[in-house]
Amino acid sequence: MLTRNPAYQMYNRRIAVASVLYVAAVFAASSVLHHRAPVSPLAIGVALVPGIAVSLMIYAMARLMLELDDEYLRLLEVRKALIATALTLAACSAWGLLEIFTAVPALPVFWVFPLWCVGLFAGALFNRLTLGKGGGL
Amino acid sequence: MNNRLKVLRAERNWSQQDLAVRLGVSRQSVNAIETGKYDPSLPLAFRIADLFELSIETIFLRG
Repeated sequence: MLTRNPAYQMYNRRIAVASVLYVAAVFAASSVLHHRAPVSPLAIGVALVPGIAVSLMIYAMARLMLELDDEYLRLLEVRKALIATALTLAACSAWGLLEIFTAVPALPVFWVFPLWCVGLFAGALFNRLTLGKGGGL
Repeated sequence: MNNRLKVLRAERNWSQQDLAVRLGVSRQSVNAIETGKYDPSLPLAFRIADLFELSIETIFLRG
Protein backbone atom coordinates (compact mmCIF):
# COMPACT_ATOMS: atom_id res chain seq x y z
CA MET A 1 0.00 0.00 0.00
CA LEU A 2 1.82 3.04 -1.24
CA THR A 3 -0.60 5.64 0.03
CA ARG A 4 -1.20 6.48 3.66
CA ASN A 5 -4.91 6.94 3.31
CA PRO A 6 -6.50 7.24 6.79
CA ALA A 7 -8.68 4.24 5.94
CA TYR A 8 -5.54 2.07 5.72
CA GLN A 9 -4.40 3.28 9.11
CA MET A 10 -7.73 2.31 10.65
CA TYR A 11 -7.57 -1.02 8.83
CA ASN A 12 -4.08 -1.77 10.15
CA ARG A 13 -5.18 -0.84 13.66
CA ARG A 14 -8.26 -3.10 13.50
CA ILE A 15 -6.29 -6.01 12.03
CA ALA A 16 -3.61 -5.63 14.71
CA VAL A 17 -6.22 -5.71 17.50
CA ALA A 18 -7.99 -8.70 15.92
CA SER A 19 -4.68 -10.53 15.47
CA VAL A 20 -3.71 -10.06 19.12
CA LEU A 21 -7.19 -11.24 20.15
CA TYR A 22 -6.88 -14.23 17.83
CA VAL A 23 -3.52 -15.37 19.21
CA ALA A 24 -4.73 -14.88 22.79
CA ALA A 25 -7.98 -16.74 22.09
CA VAL A 26 -6.23 -19.67 20.39
CA PHE A 27 -3.73 -19.86 23.25
CA ALA A 28 -6.53 -19.75 25.82
CA ALA A 29 -8.63 -22.34 23.97
CA SER A 30 -5.71 -24.72 23.54
CA SER A 31 -4.85 -24.48 27.23
CA VAL A 32 -8.46 -25.17 28.27
CA LEU A 33 -9.36 -27.77 25.65
CA HIS A 34 -7.41 -30.76 24.45
CA HIS A 35 -7.39 -31.61 20.76
CA ARG A 36 -10.76 -33.05 19.75
CA ALA A 37 -12.36 -32.52 23.16
CA PRO A 38 -15.79 -34.10 23.68
CA VAL A 39 -18.60 -31.93 22.34
CA SER A 40 -20.24 -29.86 25.06
CA PRO A 41 -21.68 -26.35 25.22
CA LEU A 42 -18.58 -25.15 27.12
CA ALA A 43 -16.16 -26.76 24.66
CA ILE A 44 -18.06 -25.32 21.70
CA GLY A 45 -18.11 -21.86 23.29
CA VAL A 46 -14.39 -21.87 24.06
CA ALA A 47 -13.49 -23.26 20.63
CA LEU A 48 -15.50 -20.55 18.89
CA VAL A 49 -13.89 -17.61 20.70
CA PRO A 50 -11.03 -17.36 18.15
CA GLY A 51 -13.77 -17.20 15.52
CA ILE A 52 -14.84 -13.86 16.98
CA ALA A 53 -11.36 -12.53 16.25
CA VAL A 54 -11.55 -13.89 12.70
CA SER A 55 -14.93 -12.17 12.33
CA LEU A 56 -13.28 -8.92 13.46
CA MET A 57 -10.67 -9.34 10.72
CA ILE A 58 -13.42 -9.80 8.13
CA TYR A 59 -15.20 -6.75 9.58
CA ALA A 60 -11.97 -4.75 9.26
CA MET A 61 -11.74 -5.70 5.59
CA ALA A 62 -15.35 -4.70 4.99
CA ARG A 63 -14.82 -1.37 6.76
CA LEU A 64 -11.75 -0.71 4.60
CA MET A 65 -13.89 -1.01 1.48
CA LEU A 66 -16.49 1.34 2.96
CA GLU A 67 -14.07 3.92 4.37
CA LEU A 68 -11.71 4.22 1.41
CA ASP A 69 -12.76 7.54 -0.12
CA ASP A 70 -10.34 7.21 -3.04
CA GLU A 71 -12.15 5.43 -5.86
CA TYR A 72 -8.97 4.08 -7.49
CA LEU A 73 -7.59 2.63 -4.25
CA ARG A 74 -11.03 1.11 -3.60
CA LEU A 75 -10.91 -0.46 -7.05
CA LEU A 76 -7.54 -2.01 -6.22
CA GLU A 77 -8.96 -3.51 -3.01
CA VAL A 78 -12.06 -4.83 -4.79
CA ARG A 79 -9.89 -6.45 -7.46
CA LYS A 80 -7.76 -8.08 -4.76
CA ALA A 81 -10.86 -9.43 -3.02
CA LEU A 82 -12.28 -10.77 -6.30
CA ILE A 83 -9.03 -12.56 -7.13
CA ALA A 84 -8.85 -13.97 -3.59
CA THR A 85 -12.46 -15.17 -3.77
CA ALA A 86 -11.98 -16.74 -7.18
CA LEU A 87 -8.81 -18.57 -6.13
CA THR A 88 -10.36 -19.76 -2.85
CA LEU A 89 -13.54 -21.04 -4.51
CA ALA A 90 -11.56 -22.76 -7.25
CA ALA A 91 -9.05 -24.34 -4.86
CA CYS A 92 -11.70 -25.50 -2.36
CA SER A 93 -13.98 -26.86 -5.09
CA ALA A 94 -11.11 -28.72 -6.77
CA TRP A 95 -9.93 -30.14 -3.45
CA GLY A 96 -13.50 -31.11 -2.58
CA LEU A 97 -13.73 -33.13 -5.80
CA LEU A 98 -10.43 -34.80 -4.96
CA GLU A 99 -11.81 -35.67 -1.52
CA ILE A 100 -14.90 -37.24 -3.10
CA PHE A 101 -13.16 -39.28 -5.75
CA THR A 102 -9.73 -40.00 -4.26
CA ALA A 103 -8.14 -40.72 -0.90
CA VAL A 104 -6.58 -37.30 -0.38
CA PRO A 105 -6.82 -36.01 3.21
CA ALA A 106 -9.78 -33.78 4.04
CA LEU A 107 -9.03 -30.05 4.03
CA PRO A 108 -10.13 -28.57 7.37
CA VAL A 109 -12.51 -25.68 6.64
CA PHE A 110 -10.46 -23.69 9.13
CA TRP A 111 -8.00 -23.11 6.29
CA VAL A 112 -10.51 -21.39 4.01
CA PHE A 113 -10.00 -17.92 5.50
CA PRO A 114 -6.16 -18.12 5.58
CA LEU A 115 -6.32 -19.37 1.99
CA TRP A 116 -8.45 -16.35 1.07
CA CYS A 117 -5.88 -14.05 2.72
CA VAL A 118 -3.14 -15.65 0.61
CA GLY A 119 -5.43 -14.94 -2.34
CA LEU A 120 -5.38 -11.25 -1.38
CA PHE A 121 -1.63 -11.28 -1.85
CA ALA A 122 -2.10 -12.96 -5.23
CA GLY A 123 -4.59 -10.20 -6.04
CA ALA A 124 -2.04 -7.56 -5.08
CA LEU A 125 0.48 -9.23 -7.40
CA PHE A 126 -2.16 -9.26 -10.16
CA ASN A 127 -2.76 -5.53 -9.63
CA ARG A 128 0.96 -4.86 -9.82
CA LEU A 129 1.41 -6.93 -12.97
CA THR A 130 -1.57 -5.45 -14.80
CA LEU A 131 -1.47 -1.85 -13.55
CA GLY A 132 2.26 -1.32 -12.95
CA LYS A 133 3.50 0.81 -10.06
CA GLY A 134 0.05 2.34 -9.64
CA GLY A 135 -1.22 -1.13 -8.84
CA GLY A 136 0.23 -1.05 -5.35
CA LEU A 137 2.58 -3.42 -3.46
CA MET B 1 -9.41 6.47 -22.71
CA ASN B 2 -6.76 9.00 -23.72
CA ASN B 3 -6.47 12.24 -21.82
CA ARG B 4 -4.39 15.43 -21.61
CA LEU B 5 -3.94 15.35 -17.87
CA LYS B 6 -0.16 14.95 -17.96
CA VAL B 7 0.25 17.88 -20.36
CA LEU B 8 -2.10 20.11 -18.38
CA ARG B 9 -0.28 19.24 -15.18
CA ALA B 10 3.12 19.89 -16.74
CA GLU B 11 1.95 23.30 -18.00
CA ARG B 12 1.34 24.27 -14.40
CA ASN B 13 4.57 22.70 -13.10
CA TRP B 14 2.61 20.46 -10.78
CA SER B 15 3.90 17.11 -9.69
CA GLN B 16 1.53 14.14 -9.58
CA GLN B 17 1.46 14.60 -5.82
CA ASP B 18 0.54 18.29 -6.20
CA LEU B 19 -2.35 17.39 -8.48
CA ALA B 20 -3.42 14.57 -6.21
CA VAL B 21 -3.61 16.93 -3.22
CA ARG B 22 -5.61 19.46 -5.22
CA LEU B 23 -8.06 16.75 -6.29
CA GLY B 24 -8.19 15.05 -2.90
CA VAL B 25 -7.10 11.68 -4.30
CA SER B 26 -4.01 9.50 -4.05
CA ARG B 27 -0.95 9.96 -6.25
CA GLN B 28 -1.58 6.44 -7.58
CA SER B 29 -4.97 7.63 -8.83
CA VAL B 30 -3.40 10.49 -10.76
CA ASN B 31 -0.75 8.16 -12.18
CA ALA B 32 -3.34 5.57 -13.22
CA ILE B 33 -5.53 8.20 -14.91
CA GLU B 34 -2.58 9.83 -16.71
CA THR B 35 -1.35 6.52 -18.06
CA GLY B 36 -4.85 5.55 -19.22
CA LYS B 37 -5.01 2.55 -16.90
CA TYR B 38 -8.00 3.92 -15.05
CA ASP B 39 -10.92 6.02 -16.25
CA PRO B 40 -12.20 8.26 -13.45
CA SER B 41 -15.82 8.32 -12.36
CA LEU B 42 -17.95 11.19 -13.63
CA PRO B 43 -17.77 13.10 -10.30
CA LEU B 44 -13.96 12.88 -10.32
CA ALA B 45 -13.84 13.84 -14.00
CA PHE B 46 -15.89 16.95 -13.13
CA ARG B 47 -13.48 17.78 -10.27
CA ILE B 48 -10.56 17.51 -12.70
CA ALA B 49 -12.36 19.67 -15.25
CA ASP B 50 -13.22 22.28 -12.61
CA LEU B 51 -9.63 22.38 -11.37
CA PHE B 52 -8.26 23.06 -14.86
CA GLU B 53 -11.24 25.26 -15.76
CA LEU B 54 -11.85 23.20 -18.88
CA SER B 55 -14.66 20.98 -20.10
CA ILE B 56 -14.43 17.23 -19.54
CA GLU B 57 -14.29 16.53 -23.27
CA THR B 58 -11.33 18.89 -23.61
CA ILE B 59 -9.37 16.82 -21.13
CA PHE B 60 -10.63 13.30 -21.90
CA LEU B 61 -10.49 12.28 -25.53
CA ARG B 62 -12.51 9.64 -27.33
CA GLY B 63 -10.76 6.57 -28.70
